[in-house]
Amino acid sequence: MAEAEALSRPGLVGQKVKNFLSAHTIDITGGLMFLLLAIFLGWPIITVLVKSAFGPEGFTLEFYRKFFTAYFYRSFLNTLLLGVLTTSVCIIAGFCIAYMTTRGPLFLRTPLKWITLLPLIAPPYIFALSLIILFGRSGLITKALNLGWDIYGFPGCVIAQTLAFLPLAYLMIENTLSSLDTSLEDSAANMGASQGKVLRSIIIPLLTPSFLKAILIVYVLAVAEFGNVAILCGRTPFLAPDIYTIVTGVEHDFNMAGVLSVSLILPCAIIFMIQNYIIKGKGYVTVSGKPISAEPRHMSPHILIPMIAISFITCGIILLCFGVVGLGAFTKIVGFNNTFTLNHILDWRANDALINSLKVSLLAGLSGAIMGVLIAYVVIRGKFRGRSSLEGLYLAGFALPGTVLGLGYIFAFNNPPLLLTGTMIILVVNCLFRFVAVGMEAGITKLQQLSIEVEEASLNLGASTITTFRRIVLPIIFPAAMYGFIYVFMTTMVSLSAVVFLTSPGYPLASVFIFQWAQYGYIGLASATVVKLIVIVGICLAIIQYMSKWTGLSITRRG
Amino acid sequence: MKAKLVVNIGLVICVAISFLLAAPVLAANPKLAASITAFGGSGSVEIDGAVAKFIEKELGVKVRFDSLSHGVIHARVKAEAPRFSVDTCWNVGYPLMLEAKEKGWSVAYDSPNWRGSGDVFVDPDGYWWNNGSWSFVLVGNKDLIAKAGYTLPNSWKDLLDAKWQDKIIMPSPLTSGTAYMMLYSFMTLYGFNEAKGEEAGWEYLEALNKNIHHYTRGGNTPSDLVGRGEFMLGISSDEMVVPRVKQGYPLLWAAPKEGIGFGSAGAIIFKGTKKLYTCQKIIDLFGTTKFCKFWSGLAGYVTKDPKAVSALYGKIPKYIPNIDQGWAAANRSRLSNEWVKRIGRVPSK
Repeated sequence: MAEAEALSRPGLVGQKVKNFLSAHTIDITGGLMFLLLAIFLGWPIITVLVKSAFGPEGFTLEFYRKFFTAYFYRSFLNTLLLGVLTTSVCIIAGFCIAYMTTRGPLFLRTPLKWITLLPLIAPPYIFALSLIILFGRSGLITKALNLGWDIYGFPGCVIAQTLAFLPLAYLMIENTLSSLDTSLEDSAANMGASQGKVLRSIIIPLLTPSFLKAILIVYVLAVAEFGNVAILCGRTPFLAPDIYTIVTGVEHDFNMAGVLSVSLILPCAIIFMIQNYIIKGKGYVTVSGKPISAEPRHMSPHILIPMIAISFITCGIILLCFGVVGLGAFTKIVGFNNTFTLNHILDWRANDALINSLKVSLLAGLSGAIMGVLIAYVVIRGKFRGRSSLEGLYLAGFALPGTVLGLGYIFAFNNPPLLLTGTMIILVVNCLFRFVAVGMEAGITKLQQLSIEVEEASLNLGASTITTFRRIVLPIIFPAAMYGFIYVFMTTMVSLSAVVFLTSPGYPLASVFIFQWAQYGYIGLASATVVKLIVIVGICLAIIQYMSKWTGLSITRRG
Repeated sequence: MKAKLVVNIGLVICVAISFLLAAPVLAANPKLAASITAFGGSGSVEIDGAVAKFIEKELGVKVRFDSLSHGVIHARVKAEAPRFSVDTCWNVGYPLMLEAKEKGWSVAYDSPNWRGSGDVFVDPDGYWWNNGSWSFVLVGNKDLIAKAGYTLPNSWKDLLDAKWQDKIIMPSPLTSGTAYMMLYSFMTLYGFNEAKGEEAGWEYLEALNKNIHHYTRGGNTPSDLVGRGEFMLGISSDEMVVPRVKQGYPLLWAAPKEGIGFGSAGAIIFKGTKKLYTCQKIIDLFGTTKFCKFWSGLAGYVTKDPKAVSALYGKIPKYIPNIDQGWAAANRSRLSNEWVKRIGRVPSK
């Protein structure tokens, strides 16, 4: 008996130590996440704020005073307007297409969906190129229809940004629309509600959170991604290209760039807070919440026609733009000397850039998936204070304009102890921290479905936190990790606004490369590189899809 | 005795042979590096890439380069100083070459191939080498001009005619070195040469501004957009005119009668490079007739070597007299800021 006790006591103590450590694994991870957050999001942002108010002679509001001169103020207002217009068009078109792909005729659903998602795998600024070729002053369509318009300025910028960021709005709206319980709509219809009434009173209110999320993301990207805008703005000033010019051009005025960055962040921060305020404490969940493939609905013409028209026009323009890129890659000078050539495709100069992009994206994607899951786990299962603020802060990182974060990274990491500029790490880290929130959110949604009792049972049976995480949590959370990986991977491949400040000679990235070529008028080479980029991303996605089928883990469904 | 002699002679021969064998090693040149990094300042991947290829072919040194516009390189170098991310740069303008010499960012080298080339092409103290002068020209779209019934102007003053309103584009001096060359050239032409000072130069630029549709980021963009028929006229870097006409763009070009400005497509070696010897060999290479011929044939640069005929101009073009590169370089920041105030950041028309 005494012998048995002696044997079991160390076991018991060990168990206690194990439990103690287990409990602390989460806290330690949480602390680590806070630390990383402070270094890689907090510090760069603070340096931007500091630059905007501290000149060579210490604190000054001089730079802010300069902001309120006619030009920058107009640039600010233009940027707001660009953001609002782009966001509105994206939400409306995104909703129409999402409605068509979830409630519309079956034969339209798949083609519409894939066309709308196409821009996801192309660098946003290719639309600027295509639009000049199609709708420029001597564009193919401008000539064909004899349009006497000028694309340089608001029209071009709004159209290009809308096409670029429509897929994100669409994805968010479609995700919710497809999981709305259709019986609600059916009962309303049975009780005599018109379709317009159903849309107004049921569907749109239930979509509020998705609309708000989509608004935030599209707005942030529309004001910050400057590739399209820089090529198409003509004489209309906008903040993102202004920041780029001020930093990389002759003026080299980091202080003013700081001020402009602050004016770019403020509206985003306000939208972020409004969004949180509205969503907080309200339930938007329908009874079952499971994705249901809705039967095609009968739609009255006054709803069907505008929706079809909007969907078709949008998808038509997307297809046209991609058509131009395809043509551009295989003709001498597209729209001009349309002789077939393989010279652009066989030009290997872009290969280094493509390989670098692939490396950076894979690294960022992998670490993004892992980190996203870890943060999600810490936020949901941790017991320390400030868990929700951890989530909020990482989300806020997502809501920061890329231009600002790119600039902040130059300020923060161009000096020892963390001398990262000129390395690949800075690119990976920058993309990782900008986009990790997506994987985190997906992870949180998944974890909320997993009852904590399962984990407790595992812990009680003697498994450590790490084992529990590996054996119980990981399989459940895996789709979320994959989702995080795909998102970070794809956005890193094509994003320009932040990395353009961080690349170094001899280490070009495909997106920067394409932007420079496009800017200097090498449409053929730029298009060919875009085509290669699309093929690479496509192959990667296909491999992931195949792997997930093979391992039996689904990635297509999120939460 | 005889045997000893034979051994001695044998020894002497051996020593001599080994000395002979060792001689190249003892006097060994430092080795060429396998690769170097550089900024190429034409802003054109074609042109900077062609130089990189030339170097790789002639010296076997791989060049990893970023092709950016002069202005962007200048800004980047300024930001990076004193820790430069590249070993050398080429196709850059006088403003950067002169500032680099003054601030001690570059290293001097007395290249045998450059001696006696004159101070337009080589710094007397050996801090920079101008591979070829280039300039800006007036470009026009053949089809659009014919359709409108106009002709390509032959004077810079003709551009002020109201009929060209919104039909001309030119680059912005904030991002383009070409554009800054235009700025100081017009300042010289209409200001100093007419003894009216800077203000008259600004008057011309402000009057021209009324007809400018917008200012592009790169100095070569206007010849692309005009070639595409987006705009009727452009003031553009002359670098891509030859390649674009070859590609089939309907481009007309002219060097108006008052003359054109000039700038350098020059090279410097950055202080702190670990591949100094390789950089020096590249500078030597730039000084050869072979390179000059390649360079003047590529895009029309006017090189130091009279045997190399510019593919664009043929003979040496008429330059605006009295252009002072030192003044232009020293006043770049001030003039650019003035341009911002008067033209660049005045809310649009």
